[in-house]
Order: sequence, then C-alpha cells, then structure tokens
Amino acid sequence: MDALVAQYSQPSHSAPDTILEDELALSTKIAPSLSHNFELPPVGSHSAWLRAMTDDHSNPSCPIKIAHGTTTLAFRFKGGIIVATDSRATAGDWIASQTVKKVIEINSCLLGTMAGGAADCQYWLAYLGMECRLHELRHKRRISVAAASKILANLLYSYKGMGLSMGTMCAGVTPTEGPALYYIDNDGTRLAGNLFCVGSGQTHAYGVLDAEYKYEMEEEEALELGKRSILAATHRDAFSGGFINLYHIKEEGWVKHGFMDTNPIFWKTKLEKGEFSNVTSKLD
Amino acid sequence: MSRRYDSRTTIFSPEGRLYQVEYALEAISHAGTALGILATDGIVLAAERKVTSKLLEQDTSAEKLYILNDNMICAVAGMTADANILINFARTNAQKYLLTYNADIPCEQLVRRVCDLKQGYTQHGGLRPFGVSFIYAGYDPQRQFQLYQSNPSGNYGGWKATSVGANNASAQSLLKQDYNEECSLKEACELAVKVLSKTMDSTKLSSEKIEFATVGRTKSGTVYHHLWTAEEIDALLREHGLAKKEGEGVEESGRPGEAV
Amino acid sequence: MRGATILKATEDKTRPLNKHTLMAFVGEAGDTVQFAEYISANIALYSMRNSTQLPPYEVSSFVRTTLAKALRSKNPYTVNLLLGGFDTRTEKPELYWIDYLASSAPVPYAAHGYAQYYCLSILDKHHHPDIDLEKGLELLRMCTDELKRRLPFDFKGVIVKVVDKEGIREVEWEEGKQMYAP
Repeated sequence: MDALVAQYSQPSHSAPDTILEDELALSTKIAPSLSHNFELPPVGSHSAWLRAMTDDHSNPSCPIKIAHGTTTLAFRFKGGIIVATDSRATAGDWIASQTVKKVIEINSCLLGTMAGGAADCQYWLAYLGMECRLHELRHKRRISVAAASKILANLLYSYKGMGLSMGTMCAGVTPTEGPALYYIDNDGTRLAGNLFCVGSGQTHAYGVLDAEYKYEMEEEEALELGKRSILAATHRDAFSGGFINLYHIKEEGWVKHGFMDTNPIFWKTKLEKGEFSNVTSKLD
Repeated sequence: MSRRYDSRTTIFSPEGRLYQVEYALEAISHAGTALGILATDGIVLAAERKVTSKLLEQDTSAEKLYILNDNMICAVAGMTADANILINFARTNAQKYLLTYNADIPCEQLVRRVCDLKQGYTQHGGLRPFGVSFIYAGYDPQRQFQLYQSNPSGNYGGWKATSVGANNASAQSLLKQDYNEECSLKEACELAVKVLSKTMDSTKLSSEKIEFATVGRTKSGTVYHHLWTAEEIDALLREHGLAKKEGEGVEESGRPGEAV
Repeated sequence: MRGATILKATEDKTRPLNKHTLMAFVGEAGDTVQFAEYISANIALYSMRNSTQLPPYEVSSFVRTTLAKALRSKNPYTVNLLLGGFDTRTEKPELYWIDYLASSAPVPYAAHGYAQYYCLSILDKHHHPDIDLEKGLELLRMCTDELKRRLPFDFKGVIVKVVDKEGIREVEWEEGKQMYAP
C-alpha cells in the first residue's frame, strides 16, 4: 500500500480504486484545495522511514528532531468547557521554546489544542481553521464542533501510518450542540467526551483532575482545577512546562483567562497551601 | 612446671590458666596509667606517657590516645606496636560499618569486634596474645555516652570510671572514692588530673607527661572528640594547681618498645 | 505473571524486616522474593547478634549497599523497593524510595512503575506532612480509584499495611466500587 501511495502522491484511500475514486471526487469537489498533493519521499514504508529519521529515543543522532511533549487538557462542566495547556516545546532533550501557544483559536467559538509534533499540529489546525471558515462562507452559519472535528479526523485517517504525530482536542460551543468536546489523534481516533488530557504529561493531569472533577463545578473552581492539573504535570513531566494557557468556553464563545508563568504559581501553591511537600530539604 | 604450657597460647595449664594471657596482663600492669571517666555530658580519657624527652615531637607521636571513629576514641596500655594492629583493625571495621549502614558503628559493636580478634589470639593465630588493654570512649544515639575497657583475653565491660596500667589499683580506688554519677565533663576532667597526679611517680605534672582527650556533644548535638594540645593540658593543670613550676626540667625516662 | 496469565492475585509483596520496618517490592519474577528474603534474613541476624533493632535509615542504607553490590556482579537483582519504617529514637516515620539501580531517596510519598505517573500528582496536591493515618488512607483511596479508572490493564487491588510505633499491621481494605472515566 505504501508503494502505491508513493506512486500517486495521494493519501492511501484515494489511490485509484474504481469505486472509491468516485466517492473521493465527490468530497474533493466540496473542498477543492484539500492540499493532498505533498511530495512524498521515494521509499517503501513512509512510517518506518520517518521513524528512523526522527526517533530520538532509539537514535539520539537522528537527523530530524520533532518538537514533542506536552500537557493539554479540556473538560466539560455545567458552566461550559475549560481548556488548559502548558507551553513547552522540546526537540529531543532540548527545550526549544517555553512560550508556545498550544491553544489554537479556530474561531470565536471553537478552540483546538496541540500535542504531538508541533509542526503537524500548527499546519493542520491552521488548515482546519481554513476549512471551518469556508464552511461558514458556504453555509452561512458556523460549523458544528462535531463537523469540524470530523474534518480533522478524516484528514488524519487519510494519512494514517505515514508518520503524522498529533493528539488534539476540539472544544467549542454552537447553539445546536451546546458545549462540545472531541478528542482526535493521528490514528484517526475521534471521541466525544467530558474530560480529556493529552500529551506526555497526561497521566499527571488526569491524576489531579479525576480526583476532584465534578460536572456540577462552579466556574471559579473549574478554572482553578484546570490550572492546578497543568501545574501538576509541569512539575512531574520533564517535557511539560513554561506557562499555563487557560481558556473558558461559555455559551457566547471562549474567554481567555491568561498565559501564566508556572514558576511563581508553583511556589505560591507550595508556600501558601503546603502542597508539593516532597520539595524539601528536611528529609535528609 | 609452667614451661610446657608457656609457649602455646592454645593450651591450658593443669591449674586451668593461660600463661601467655597472664603474662600479657602482667606486661600491661607496668604500662603507663590510663583512665577514663564518664560524665553526664561527655567522657574524658587521660593517660600517662612513659617515653618523654625534650627531643620528642609532641604532636606527631601520640603514645596513648587514638581516634577510632567519628564517634569513638581509645586509650592504650601495653605494647604500642600490638595496639597499632588492633587500632587499624578497629578503624577499618568502623569504616566498613559506615559503608554498609551509612551510620557510625554502635560503640559496643566496635568494642566487641576488636575483642573477638583479641580472643582469637588466645586460641590460635599466633604464639602470643595481643599485649594491650584499651579504654574506649564513645557515643551512639542508642545508648548515649559509653565507656568500655578490654584486656588481652578478649574480655570487655562497660564502666562509669576505670583505669588500666601501672598503679591501676590505687587509681581505681581513688576513682571509686571521688566519682560522682552526676558530674559534668569539666568536673570529670578535674578528677582525671587529680587521680593521675596521685598515681604517677613524678610529683608535678606537665603536658609532656600526660595525654588528654574528651568526647562530647556540641550545642547542635553533633558528637565531637578532641585530643588536647599541650597548651590546653597545661592550662588545665595550672587551673588545678598541679603544673610544675617554670625552670623545672623534664626527667627523661623510658625506652621505646617497652610497654607504655 | 507468566506469559499472559495471572498466577495469583493476592500475593503479599511485602516483607517485615524487623519490628518497625516493612519492605514492599516489585520487579523480575524470582528476584523479588529472593532479594526480600535475603535482606530480611540479614536484618534478623543483625537483631539477634546485637540485641537491638537496626533503625530504618540504617536498614535503607544496608538495602541500598546490597543492591549496589549485586548490580555490579554477574547476576544483579531487578527489584524496585519501597521501605517504610518507624524510628523509635526520633519517634518519626520514614519512607525510602529505592530502585533497582540502587538509588535511594527519603520521600514523603512514593510509588513505582506506572502508578507513579497517575498517583504522584495526586499526592503532590493532597499530601501534607502533618496528616494523620485516616487522611493517609483517604489519599490511598484517591490513588487506587485513579488506577482503577485509568490504568490500561486490569488493576487487581492492593494489600495495605501500616507501620507506626506499635509496629507493623495489615489494615482492612474494602475493594470499593468499579471506577469509570468521567
């Protein structure tokens, strides 16, 4: 299959298979500039080749170091959706940036989050932004979160196994759906849900979030919990850190609640609330 | 009669005695006196040195007092050369314990290890036992300050105040008379020099003739041991009116290699 | 586990070392129990020889040294350990995190394996140095609930033991209900 892909420079399911071709023609008419015309390297297995070139873990001198490692979270509650991320980008052992904006503002009512390859996420979420705007122009109404997430999921599925690295959440609000949250990743998985954490720091964030998450939370409580969960992950996960980017999606659209340095927040939390009791010199 | 049993450490005489061990004890009873006194806040060890000479380098030739570990020191009576073997053994064992458990060896354990070695030489290992008695002073968190004494047979015991070497019988009775369980380290130091001044042959003491050491705890609770300098010893002697007057010469005595 | 079969779900992965020290272990099958019993025998020997209990810090150092020596031999032990003890001299509880590479650290709370990723952030937030046993068990419940909720494999539950000035005892632990991700 990979060989066919190379031959036609097309995603796998659009290879000239007689029945599928018609279906695809239909879909490409609706979205003519789907950008499905990347040059692909002339190799047998794209995913294997990409892995060999980029896997920092098994080959520290790999020529391409993909920016990875993140903590992002989003959860639904009675007051809407909280979206929070860290801001660190790492390339191998190297902290490439501490000020990455991992929440992509697709439109005034829709947010996407970035985890995985930074370039992949930035490119395809920008692309999703374009598709969503085109949808608005064509249909004279905003796209539903379900549809937006489906565009991304289908796109990612079409490149499945070719080395894209993305774990994203689409969170937004529309009059028909209300607040809606979807998880999409490069396997082509698309899940609707109440609570997701994505990235290398996900487990740490889940730990704090699960323990105190209630749908009936107040806004203040929910914002604090989102912030605290990212802080937990930045403390324990080496690949997460920098600033906490915090958003709240309400009925009218999203509101930004700051881009906050984790360092002073950590010390404030420790000194005022007595948390992080393992950070001490009193034990030895 | 005893000749048949003399040359073996391993054989009892018909009277049930181990001659070599007894000879070793005899050698020690001619050695310079050493004593130790347990106080509430520390321990003092004091000893009479036999080899005195104006030519002797004071600080490089400690004769009687040795550091075994961060929490322990000892006084020697007997053959210095034999003592060196045992001290080296004790130091090595203290370090081995530190390596394994990351903590100072409890005092009694170190004493016991040395005594196990000493005992071994009363049965096998050589033709004679070690000709050394020790007084050990140490501290550990389990049992606080401790004073021990051991002899060539490998026997050991814990004491409040004890002495070994020449005149130890009279030193012992002086200690029994004047020892007070509630005494401070300072009072113990006073008692130590007073006892020494009475048991030693020379009438006036000086830093050339005695060695002095203390184990205690600092205000912050860390254990320290301190081998006193000549100046500190003289100051103590002066304080208690036991120092010799200016101009009095040092009587030279003793030969290296003799029991000290 | 041998292959993909659970051989026993209620194996006690702890060994008491002396009256006030308990060691929990995970790792390579075979190594774990061998190592734990070697340590417990040596600590027992120490108690008998010296008629005194080796305090927790000294026990942790002994375990670390033993592991470090084995690591540099032909057959190292692949065992991760948690060592809990109550020091009767200071009247304080102590906890040591020790891994198979023989690094040891005194910590207020600890975990090994995947549990670390889920539990430490919970403990970072909810642990305080002055909590009592009841609160401690509450925190443990938060942790096991999270493991039930999020671990990708079936979590078979825990055995809970407490070490305090009275010594070591097992406490009753209700399995609790099934947890689902929200």
